[in-house]
Amino acid sequence: MRNSSTRKFSNRKIIWLYVFSGGFVLGTALLGLLVSSVSVPIPTIFHIILNNSINIGWLEDIPANVESIIWNIRLPRVLLAFFVGASLALAGAAFQGLLRNPLADPYTIGVSSGAALGAVIVLFFQISIVGLGGYTLPVLSIIGGFIALLIVFGLVRLSSRSLAIETIILAGIIVSAFISSIISLIIALGDRDSMIQIIYWLYGSVRMRGWSHVQLLIPFMITGTLILLMHYRELNALALGEEAAEQIGVNVNRGKILILIGASLLTGSAVAVSGSIGFVGLVIPHLVRLISGPNHRHVLPLSLLTGGAFLILADLVARTIIAPKELPIGVITALIGAPVFAFLLMKERIGKGAK
Amino acid sequence: MLSLKGIVGGYANTPIIKGIDLKIERGEFFALLGPNGSGKTTLFKLITGQLPLLKGESIIDGQALSSLTALEKAKKIAVLTQEAHVSFDYTVEEIISLGRYPYQKGFLKNLSKKDYEVMESVMEITKTTNFEKKPFRTLSGGEKQRVLLAKALAQEPEMLLLDEPTNHLDIKHTFQMLDLLKEWQQARGLTIFAILHDLNVASLYADRVGLLHQGKFLEVGDINTLRKEDQLEKVYEVQVKTQSHPAIPKPQLLMTPNFRETPECKDFFQSYSIEKNEKYVHLTFEQPLRTISNGVIGDGIQWIKHFCNFHVEKHYNCSEPDKDIQRWMEKHHIPHEQSVGMMTAVNLEDVIVSKKRVGDNHSIMAVVTAGTGNAVDISSKVKAMEDVKIGTINTMVFIDAHFTDGALVNGIMSATEGKVRALQDLQIKDPLSNTFASGTSTDSVVLAVTQQGEKTPYAGSGTLIGKAIGEVVYEATTNAVKKYLKRVKVNDNS
Repeated sequence: MRNSSTRKFSNRKIIWLYVFSGGFVLGTALLGLLVSSVSVPIPTIFHIILNNSINIGWLEDIPANVESIIWNIRLPRVLLAFFVGASLALAGAAFQGLLRNPLADPYTIGVSSGAALGAVIVLFFQISIVGLGGYTLPVLSIIGGFIALLIVFGLVRLSSRSLAIETIILAGIIVSAFISSIISLIIALGDRDSMIQIIYWLYGSVRMRGWSHVQLLIPFMITGTLILLMHYRELNALALGEEAAEQIGVNVNRGKILILIGASLLTGSAVAVSGSIGFVGLVIPHLVRLISGPNHRHVLPLSLLTGGAFLILADLVARTIIAPKELPIGVITALIGAPVFAFLLMKERIGKGAK
Repeated sequence: MLSLKGIVGGYANTPIIKGIDLKIERGEFFALLGPNGSGKTTLFKLITGQLPLLKGESIIDGQALSSLTALEKAKKIAVLTQEAHVSFDYTVEEIISLGRYPYQKGFLKNLSKKDYEVMESVMEITKTTNFEKKPFRTLSGGEKQRVLLAKALAQEPEMLLLDEPTNHLDIKHTFQMLDLLKEWQQARGLTIFAILHDLNVASLYADRVGLLHQGKFLEVGDINTLRKEDQLEKVYEVQVKTQSHPAIPKPQLLMTPNFRETPECKDFFQSYSIEKNEKYVHLTFEQPLRTISNGVIGDGIQWIKHFCNFHVEKHYNCSEPDKDIQRWMEKHHIPHEQSVGMMTAVNLEDVIVSKKRVGDNHSIMAVVTAGTGNAVDISSKVKAMEDVKIGTINTMVFIDAHFTDGALVNGIMSATEGKVRALQDLQIKDPLSNTFASGTSTDSVVLAVTQQGEKTPYAGSGTLIGKAIGEVVYEATTNAVKKYLKRVKVNDNS
């Protein structure tokens, strides 16, 4: 067949992309474990991780404090950064595919804000729903995000017939602003300590979270990821528009709802453990798409890997750049993401004008 | 294949489709016609299930469409609409692979070998193989539409719904696209149900048409439904004239705008100029005339401004007379696309112009050149001569009147009768049979009408105008033949 050679070529390119992304994840993870004020040699790091996870150790006399730094502080931090980055990037890729526009992400369409409100309410009022225990935080966060999403879509439906992306982003900004004011109100009602705590949390950080937060995130992250990965074909089909997708056999309504639920699970749980970290969900899928092409079969998993690795790196920068003090990770991602967003917006406009 | 029974439906509580029954057979090309707002697209949406039926049912292959899942439906019906916006830079191949969505199985839902085979064959048919790796966005409108057609065909549907698929295409791509569909229809027995806005295109490609008007079918039938001008005028509110396609036996419609240029009302005999020399006689009218003729160029029924009669040598080699006339016209700056051209070996000094007024409103003028060397009795059994001498009667009749197409043919008859009568009275004989001649072997005639005033459906000898045509032609022919005979005599004597 004439096509097989070109098909092989593009297959090989995709395989290399996966290898590269996987390497990026491992590399950044290792850097994240290695770089710090206390330097621990790489073999020791491996020993500690393997010893604690699957009981294979070969070194003797590891000081308890070193072991604690690696196992209880750095590893969960790196993992959390990876999971949060992966979740946000994957959710962003899904929103972009669903709304057929590369400018959508959990942040710009208001989901993050809703999730943040849910989280702030739990943190501030120390709510714990019976039966959920510690999971009250991510669950309320997810619900908050989903409600915000529904409000945004409701606003768009009421104001215009089509799901024009400008309208969605505008509605997202309106809803975000409204939610921010509610959060400010809650903060203003509290005392100084909790105020500082919440404001710092809002900036976004994966600092001082530990294993408990990794645990909070994992079930939702896995569920959301599976839901989205299983719907890559629907996301591809939606590129034709909803009507055309229906005509090739896609159950559009079910697909849309599941994709929105999956993306909300990811966003909500990520926000619950790390605060609002912007622009990861916007920039990463876009860059991935530039390299891999728009096929969601690859955009989704590659965004997941790259987003995770990117956030590990961002966290590394956040805690080393003004050491011993730390920057909130959201500051780093925004510093990188905002100019990229502006660039994309201009590119989109220029693209439209040139047509 | 598909049968619609008493379908009612539309938006909210106002049904746009108000009761439709239709049966579409397997393998036929059915065109849904009707003006904007008649409910064509709504009917499509009711069939695809995008809009709910309020009443009635649609059945495909014995199953109610509403009972099928989206996947099952996609295997039976594919849809191609007038435009599709594809977001992101998907390649052509990726877009076409979406057509295989309903067939993908297994947990990972990868494209199977069969999927690739189908994709390749539809790409070949739609001639999209060349740009399968290109981003869809970078294609031209025609290419895009072909890709989307390939996607629809990749669904291996039994029926294709087309919603004005050629709306944004130029005529080249429109015909390419429809030829392709027609091929697929005939080769694979694909059923095509298309909304087409161009009635003429529908007539060329459809097997049957349905004319939708205010949510109901006015008529469903074969393409000759399009010959019913009254019905089309009622539905489209445009003056329509049906003609037959010149090459294939299908109707084509000509629309007449309400807006009309009203030419200055000049006296008929002042509205033309005539140029005479030894090479040609050339009449130019200010406005084009409705013309019927058998001229060397400009034959048939047309609108013509220039009328020429060229002089040729006695032994003119007539292998390519039309090309010659075009060349001569170009030389004298006469636009040959708007001209009737004739040729004669007769001396053009002998041209006769006869004029006559008929009643208050009509005028007639005949311009005749005549030679009778080849006079023939049409009823004689003797075979015509091989050796062609000078001898042609070229008759041009210009009339200030308004004729129907039928009247034009009547007019030709009247002119011919006048000519025959003139030859008889002059006792011109067929030299072979020695009987009275009825004409010559290569006579040309043109009848040109201004189309001013009231429309006349008849111009035969029973009408004033028909009679006048005969009289004028009789008079002009008589004088022209007399001049010719005189010249022959003078030449013989000298």
